[in-house]
Amino acid sequence: MLRKLIAAFCVITVAALVPSQSRAASLEEIKKRGYMVVATEDNYPPFEYIQDGQPAGLDHDLYKLLKEWAGAVQVRQEILPWQGLLAGVVSGQFDVALSAATISDQRAQQLYFTMPIAEATHYYMKRKGDTRIQAVKDLSGLTIGTQQGSSIHQRLPEVEALLQKTGGKLGRVSLYASYPEAYQDLANGRIDYVLNSVVAISDVLRKRPNEFELGQAVVPIGYHAWAVKRGNKELRDYINQFFNEQRKNGNLYRLQEKWLGRAFPDLPWEAKLPGNRPMPE
Amino acid sequence: MAWSSLLPELARGTATTLTVSLAGIALGLVAGLALALIRTSHIPVVASAVAAYVSVVRATPMVTLALLVFFGLPALGLGLSPLTAAILIIAINTSVFQAEIWRASLLDFPRGQLDAAHAAGMTHAVAFRRIVFPQAWRASLPALVNEATLVIKGSPAVAVIGVVDLTRVAVRATTLTYEPMRPFLSATVIYVAVVMVLIRLQRYTERRIVAKYGTL
Amino acid sequence: MIANFGVVLGEWRSLMTGLVNTIWICALSGLLSLLFAVLVAQLLVSRRRAVRRVTQSGVDVLRAIPFLMLLFLIYYCLPTLGLRLSSWTCGLSALVVYNTAYFAEILRGAWAHLPREQEEAGRAHGYAGLRLYRRIILPQIFIAAGPVLGNQMITLVKNSAFLLVITIPDLTFMANQVQAIHFIPFETMLVAVALYWTICSTIEWGVRRLDRVAVVRGHE
Repeated sequence: MLRKLIAAFCVITVAALVPSQSRAASLEEIKKRGYMVVATEDNYPPFEYIQDGQPAGLDHDLYKLLKEWAGAVQVRQEILPWQGLLAGVVSGQFDVALSAATISDQRAQQLYFTMPIAEATHYYMKRKGDTRIQAVKDLSGLTIGTQQGSSIHQRLPEVEALLQKTGGKLGRVSLYASYPEAYQDLANGRIDYVLNSVVAISDVLRKRPNEFELGQAVVPIGYHAWAVKRGNKELRDYINQFFNEQRKNGNLYRLQEKWLGRAFPDLPWEAKLPGNRPMPE
Repeated sequence: MAWSSLLPELARGTATTLTVSLAGIALGLVAGLALALIRTSHIPVVASAVAAYVSVVRATPMVTLALLVFFGLPALGLGLSPLTAAILIIAINTSVFQAEIWRASLLDFPRGQLDAAHAAGMTHAVAFRRIVFPQAWRASLPALVNEATLVIKGSPAVAVIGVVDLTRVAVRATTLTYEPMRPFLSATVIYVAVVMVLIRLQRYTERRIVAKYGTL
Repeated sequence: MIANFGVVLGEWRSLMTGLVNTIWICALSGLLSLLFAVLVAQLLVSRRRAVRRVTQSGVDVLRAIPFLMLLFLIYYCLPTLGLRLSSWTCGLSALVVYNTAYFAEILRGAWAHLPREQEEAGRAHGYAGLRLYRRIILPQIFIAAGPVLGNQMITLVKNSAFLLVITIPDLTFMANQVQAIHFIPFETMLVAVALYWTICSTIEWGVRRLDRVAVVRGHE
């Protein structure tokens, strides 16, 4: 037993001395080696999800356009659960988070965001006919569901402060691996409301109009954008060039109409923190 | 969800589960044998390190191992696709249990036979290949098949890293249609069927070995 | 990497919450499973063939289902039948139902191997029914099956990690949360693995203590 502990301790010490590999490929390196690795979430409709075995959603259509636009540079895609995605970009395993990540202060410390692809203002969604909830203050004490590791999960203290201002408090919090699982528990009655980006919620409402209802916004305006590791300025600007073109030729707005139900023509031309604050330098 | 769209998905999921499980078992078999040989070899530091490794992995849940391998290893520079990671996770997990199974039959092996082999002039390697391994293999077979059923029952852990195995197919179908009975009951039936087949196989193997060789 | 371990340590409250949740849900479900298993084992060795067969089929089917599937059946399918349990109740129920089947099978095996002389001697001394069961048969079965029961207890702890998929904040759930927020997957999951190893080693230590009792009492 003692020998085992000593052996384990030696292994861990050696492992601890291994420097973390966190070199992300710069744009130059990407061009030299001929390919870029992007990571997309597996279950976040309407941005990125799997339908009948095939990837679908706004981000997947943008991915196809990016592949064309990048020309000689191959774009390889990995699809995985959200909880590993941004960590993979920070560690250098992926070059770009080709995913509708929400821009947040905490994430901005380790990532650069591209120009936004949609608004990400967070609303609450409740069961249709649930008359207990008429306004944000009625959410006090009720059970909330959201995705583990999402930006709203990290911004729950803001929601709590909001509820406390009207004399209420944050209820129990249920965290799910992906939003569709949260919606299902909302339908089942295990949770009382889901907090998610208004775009994603609108998509659910289109598909299940008899089950759910849209509420109001709970936090100031925010944005969805792709992300690269902080410091990778050229790669971020390269992707921004891509988006520039897709906005000029109308492709982005067309795809927004198709997947999100409306276009967002007035999005900022560079990443912005929630509340339209400028990104840190 | 209509059967016409559910059945192909279930078939795909089952194929993924079986492929990942079989590949993991095959890899784990070889790795397990290697681990067992090192442990029974009494080489000073290495044998202890392997013992510690086996002890830790045996105590690690499949889901935790999956997250460590799939999310954690890339941070050290070893990036893997979900499918490759899934096979590796299953292989790592089953290899330590298989190592214990192999170690049991290797330790139980009658020394008399080994001594006779050496007296007849065989080297360690030849003796292993021609005398030890065939008998140890037969002795371990039922336990190895049992381990295979455990692998199938633990394979849903890879659904957590995004691999679309049978369990994930069922979950996905449910979150799409909000109707859980059909997908989950079908998936359960398939899992039970596969495990029952393996259990039959294990009993059959035991009977054949005892019949042919008189003992396990 | 050492810096990252520092971040993990900074989140010790989250990890401790997860650890405590894992420990108590495993302890509670382990206890309940053993209690139910004693009852089910009785059915498995019942003198009535019909009772034996039905119970054995039930146990066999439960032992053929992957734990995660059972968890999902309870979590997603029961509500459609009108029974919507909270996530904690679902998790606890799944662990209890699943492990009752395994514990019952283990106890049945140990019972079958129990020397008949013990039971007969007990009856000769006037023990009968519940007293016979409680003071003669059960202690011997538990001591004889100690290591195997301990193994199953370790399997129970490992199965508890699956509870994260139904939002129960167990150790793996909290570790996954810490790593997703701080982008430090390797260090966080390594700490989680170390904690699971501690729990399982404690169980193994308990089994070894029980073994010593067994030797003192004359078992081998």
